[in-house]
Amino acid sequence: AAVSMGANVTPSLRLTSHRRTLSSVSGLSFHPKRPWVLASLHNGVIQLWDYRMCTLIDKFDEHDGPVRGIDFHKQQPLFVSGGDDYKIKVWNYKLRRCLFTLLGHLDYIRTTFFHHDYPWILSASDDQTIRIWNWQSRTCVCVLTGHNHYVMCAQFHPSEDLVVSASLDQTVRVWDISGLRKKNLSPGAVETEVRGISGVDLFGASDAVVKHVLEGHDRGVNWAAFHPSMPLIVSGADDRQVKIWRMNESKAWELDTCRGHYNNVSCAVFHPRQELILSNSEDKSIRVDHDRHDSGMIVFKLERERPAYAVHGNMLYYVKDRFLRQLDFNSSKDTAVMQLRSGSKFPVFSMSYNPAENAVLLCTRATNLENSTYDLYSIPKESDSQNPDAPEGKRSSGLTAVWVARNRFAVLDRMHSLLIKNLKNEIVKKVQVPSCEEIFYAGTGSLLLRDADGVTLFDVQQKRSLATVKIGKVKYVVWSADTSHVALLAKHAIMICNRKLESLCNIHENIRVKSGAWDESGVFIYTTSNHIKYALTSGDHGIIRTLDLPIYVTRVRGNSVYCLDRECRPRVLTIDPTEYRFKLALVNRKYDEVLHMVRNAKLVGQSIIAYLQKKGYPEVALHFVKDEKTRFSLALECGNIEVALEAAKALDERSCWERLGEAALLQGHHQVVEMCYQRTKNFDKLTFLYLITGNLAKLRKMMKIAEIRKDMSGHYQAALYLGDVSERVRILKNCGQKSLAYLTAATHGLDEEAEALKETFDPEKETVPEVDPNAQLLQPSPPINPLDTNWPLLTVSKGFFEGAIAAKGKAGQMAADQDMDAPGGEGWGDDAELQLDEDGFMEAQETFGEEGAVKEEGGGWDVEEDLDLPPELDIPAGGGGGAEDGFFVPPTKGMSPTQMWCNNSQLPVDHILAGSYETAMRLLHDQVGVVSFEPYKSLFMQTLSRGRTCYLGLPSLPCLRSHPQRNWKDCGAKQGLPAVGLRLSDLIARLQQCYQLTTAGRFEEAVERFRAILLSVPLLVVDNKQEIAEAQQLITICREYIVGLTMETERKKLPKDTLEEQKRLCEMAAYFTHCNLQPVHMVLVLRTALNLFFKLRNFKMAAGFARRLLELGPNPNVAQQTRKILAACEKTLTDAHQLNYDPHNPFDLCAASFVPLYRGRPVEKCPLSGACYCPTYKGQICRVTQVTEIGKDVIGLRVSPLQFR
Amino acid sequence: MDKIAVQSGTPQGDVDELFDVKNAYYIGSYQQCINEAQKVKPSSPEKETERDMFLYRAYIAQRKYAVVLDDIKGSSPPELQAVRMFAEYLSSENKRDAIVADLDKKMVKSVDAANTTFLLMAASIYYHEMNTDAALRTLHQGESLECMAMSIQVLLSLDRVDLARKELKKMQEQDEDATLTQLATAWVNIAVGGEKLQDAYYIFQEMSDKYSSTLLLLNGQAACYMAQNKWEEAEGVLQEALDKDSSHPETLINLIVLTQHLGKAPEVTNRYLSQLKDAHRAHPFLKDYLAKENEFDRLSMQYAPTATA
Repeated sequence: AAVSMGANVTPSLRLTSHRRTLSSVSGLSFHPKRPWVLASLHNGVIQLWDYRMCTLIDKFDEHDGPVRGIDFHKQQPLFVSGGDDYKIKVWNYKLRRCLFTLLGHLDYIRTTFFHHDYPWILSASDDQTIRIWNWQSRTCVCVLTGHNHYVMCAQFHPSEDLVVSASLDQTVRVWDISGLRKKNLSPGAVETEVRGISGVDLFGASDAVVKHVLEGHDRGVNWAAFHPSMPLIVSGADDRQVKIWRMNESKAWELDTCRGHYNNVSCAVFHPRQELILSNSEDKSIRVDHDRHDSGMIVFKLERERPAYAVHGNMLYYVKDRFLRQLDFNSSKDTAVMQLRSGSKFPVFSMSYNPAENAVLLCTRATNLENSTYDLYSIPKESDSQNPDAPEGKRSSGLTAVWVARNRFAVLDRMHSLLIKNLKNEIVKKVQVPSCEEIFYAGTGSLLLRDADGVTLFDVQQKRSLATVKIGKVKYVVWSADTSHVALLAKHAIMICNRKLESLCNIHENIRVKSGAWDESGVFIYTTSNHIKYALTSGDHGIIRTLDLPIYVTRVRGNSVYCLDRECRPRVLTIDPTEYRFKLALVNRKYDEVLHMVRNAKLVGQSIIAYLQKKGYPEVALHFVKDEKTRFSLALECGNIEVALEAAKALDERSCWERLGEAALLQGHHQVVEMCYQRTKNFDKLTFLYLITGNLAKLRKMMKIAEIRKDMSGHYQAALYLGDVSERVRILKNCGQKSLAYLTAATHGLDEEAEALKETFDPEKETVPEVDPNAQLLQPSPPINPLDTNWPLLTVSKGFFEGAIAAKGKAGQMAADQDMDAPGGEGWGDDAELQLDEDGFMEAQETFGEEGAVKEEGGGWDVEEDLDLPPELDIPAGGGGGAEDGFFVPPTKGMSPTQMWCNNSQLPVDHILAGSYETAMRLLHDQVGVVSFEPYKSLFMQTLSRGRTCYLGLPSLPCLRSHPQRNWKDCGAKQGLPAVGLRLSDLIARLQQCYQLTTAGRFEEAVERFRAILLSVPLLVVDNKQEIAEAQQLITICREYIVGLTMETERKKLPKDTLEEQKRLCEMAAYFTHCNLQPVHMVLVLRTALNLFFKLRNFKMAAGFARRLLELGPNPNVAQQTRKILAACEKTLTDAHQLNYDPHNPFDLCAASFVPLYRGRPVEKCPLSGACYCPTYKGQICRVTQVTEIGKDVIGLRVSPLQFR
Repeated sequence: MDKIAVQSGTPQGDVDELFDVKNAYYIGSYQQCINEAQKVKPSSPEKETERDMFLYRAYIAQRKYAVVLDDIKGSSPPELQAVRMFAEYLSSENKRDAIVADLDKKMVKSVDAANTTFLLMAASIYYHEMNTDAALRTLHQGESLECMAMSIQVLLSLDRVDLARKELKKMQEQDEDATLTQLATAWVNIAVGGEKLQDAYYIFQEMSDKYSSTLLLLNGQAACYMAQNKWEEAEGVLQEALDKDSSHPETLINLIVLTQHLGKAPEVTNRYLSQLKDAHRAHPFLKDYLAKENEFDRLSMQYAPTATA
């Protein structure tokens, strides 16, 4: 029995059981870096194992009898062994042989160790000596004597010149070997001297002296070892005790004794990094983990290395060093979100995360399962990563806890029954479940229950099992993101099931399965101890890449595998997903992807073709095969005669033609059949083919060929097929079948021939055969329609590949064309938008400062506010529905949110949304002077229709209504206001359309749209002063356009026969240039005016328009033309006619009569649009809005609650 | 029929063999309900009646009234007669008054309160008639979860969230995890608003995750989203609903709301409105809509400019 500590890589001792070693293990040594262990056996064999893969790497069989000492060298590819054959052997495992043997011990060798630094080997033997050997000079450099019984163990100190030894003489001794080091390793060391002594201990006393003798064990001591860093020694003895000793320069003393073993302790070592002692005893128990196993070895893990983690969306939650950390996969930001409550000495075993409540369940598993606990934490919303909060968790006992709904989790308690708890960690119900050892997440309301030999999908709500699959010892369960698939991971098996737990595929692994995650395309990526692998739900699986160390996959995206390693560090590994993507595309018959991959990934290889063939995709494989032979057989396999023919032509082998012929015949492709027969010179078959296809001409040719080939039988057969009697007679005659020839001729009425033949008969020797009177001509009737073409085949739509490959050239061009189409067309819109934002608003803000006066009139409003709010039926809570005394009183109607809206707001749109048209109209009337509501009808109806949503209650009942509110977060029960659904930005966006219509010259349509926007403005709700100003400005823009465009429409209808009429036209064109328009439109307007005025010979005014036009920076053509006109005008800078237009005197334009109202003249305005009118129009409907009364006294536009403060 | 109450209401009860049938019905997966009902083998005549009741109600929900009217004969159990009455009510507008009058007479006499189906069907008719008092009075006599759920729906339509909550509490006491209780919780949560909206959303979401997404669940989710002003999210959900059934009235109504809030052109909204007018003339939404149009015309008569041109 032996024990060793894997001091490499991780603080653990590991092993896997191997039943293959038949002999018992006497010694063990872990490789310092690799996952290897050397086992020396009782039968003299030394085995080198990879314990992660559980494979035997090598065997070294030279010792005779048990081998007890075994040790890897820390740096070099060497190991040393010592056996009961008194031999010490040094081996090189790379060269796979024993380098040399050291002889000297006179009895069994118990242990052999390399020095960590010097080229020394330390051996302990039953001959009561300890020897130190130099493996470079291959000599014994020192013999340590003093023990007076077998020396069971001797080891170097990890850093000092000390040796500790244990002996059956009940002592542990510490030796000082500094003398030896000085002597041997100082320059000019005289090894010859030692050699001269030939191992006898004459001067040795000075080289190595006993420093301490530790007495305390009552029986023989089996093992002694130094602590890696502290001055401590641990020993194990046949007195069933483990003792710890402390030493200093001058003395050593017993520190402590560990009792507990029930039999001899054969080994005891310190843990390299933790405060643990590992001891091994013949009582077959493990104290802090140990083993004695007679038929193999087991590598134990001292602790779990798998981090607890959970993935949700882009977030990974994992536990590291008592912190719950959160990793954002996208930004790679890794933060500690909270500190876990301390108190458990066990690491967190598993985690379940609840995204709805941002809560987490952490399960901790104790050695004694019954003491396992879980903690329920609510993750703090804000946390300081440097010093995260340590929120109070709720701890209860239970094996496992997982979420089953956003506010419920299931706990498997120690009695293995299932409890459902709420967020307060209170038991909501207990559920009887079938026997189960472990529970896993399975989506809302469900769990996966694991028992000894299967997994059951259990509905927690219905309390019943829905499905079961057989799979032993599932350890982990991984759901795909949409929970449509689940992977069940057991130690050596993976099963993929669908949502209903129907098994889709089973994969067996020889190496341990560690973890897995679903990639976004539905491929399961998993890791074993040494590989990253993939599995398709169809069962296809394979290796993606190898791993040096086990990792735990957390997520797969594209070609990145996100994982945690054993140190709990998040890592990203890159994989090549081509192979599984390719296979997935094939399974899903996404041939375009397949083709893309074939072209771009250079996948083609024999293995892929073999795969395609095996999986039943010969038609796909066909398209990437270059090798003609493979191509040929693939083509035949999928019945593609054309391709097969091509390949056959290239190959031109007889066997190919034959196979092709057969295949083509089956398909009735007789042209190819013909070619095959021709190539293989199979005349018989060819003849027959011509017969059955009725190709008589060729059949005749075949007859000729047969004749030339002197193939009588073929010749005759062809003649027979053709019904060519004379030919038959000729053949028979030629080959000496005279009587047959005669009979043939006679029977078929070739009398001349018959006579001629008859004459040749020698009457004496030959008898003329008798002609059967009933004989008749046998002639196969040719097919009615000779078959020239192949048999008709069902039309098969061309497979994707045929098409794709044929179109290879074209596809590229198409794509390019499409790309070309994409841009363009928008240039205009961009410009217009820019203009609006830059100058449009700026100017308007200035111009409309004057409207400020109107705003202040809000004072009188307060009175009405009260009037408008009748005390609503605010029903007391208990006022209805009381049924206490058994008598049912129907409840009265409650206050609906819409009623509250009316109460809470004075904005018209809120009232419309609430369906209170009466008050809404009143508000519009009072605020902006609306007196004709007809144009508002569609706006009202639309607005109303967005005020309530529907949801269905019970089936077949009228739906329920919900009322979206803009202040839903904090309005409480009474302060609600409706979500408006009409945004200023939307209206502004709609302006663009109007501008485009204007540019296109569709003035009437444009006016309609501008007006719709204008009318919508009073139905806005905005939040700040800036937006209130913008709303005002929007009205101004609309008004300017409506006035201008209406006037222009009007102007176009006017006659232009007389001078007066022409003058009026010019005037109106001139007024139009004073509407505030976008520059792009202003250019058009100015050009019209310029032209008209120029024609009217009013050059002075025309020059004014020309200058204004040039200021706007029109396009070069326009500019050039304008300059010409300007030049012409400037020659005679006069006006031919007097017009009612003074460009220098500012004026407003009457929107009804289209005459200028110069400053200072009385003006009436529209209360909404601000359009100006001659006083005569007062009281009429505004021409711009068509809803408001000109000159009406109003409160003013109200679009924000700010305006009521 | 009180069995329904017992079975769906008692947590400790055995596995309900009709669970899938009922569940599919309540979440609005009517075809699945019919399929399940045709698959299940009831263990007793009572169960068979109960199954048929859900089967026929699923047909009613699909507006296949004729199936129900033809299948249920005079000899069928009284529970099914009640279902037939409801089907008849829904199938023909002109018989409605007579049916209601007949029902009123029945209600005056002592009603077999054990016949929950009768109570439910009677209440459904009253609710359609907007006679909420009678509906609630009828439902008050039953104690099954569905009676309570329907009461909650009626109370919510009366804007009595306070009473609905009380009723919900009773449901939760009976069986908190039942599908109906969950759904009713969602309805009440929507009516309560604020933070509860997210809870309501989760309930619909969980059910569609667990079973299948249906128009009922999707519109529920959409209502939650819209109540939270999450218009873009609602668009996705409603699009899914529209893909399932392009002329489902509630989906169309919600789209009318949504498209406006998303700032789409008025034409888009009008298209949905026209679709609704085409296919569902009698829908309460349209009735209200037309009434409002008339009201608008009437009210606008009260205004006129002081002068005419």
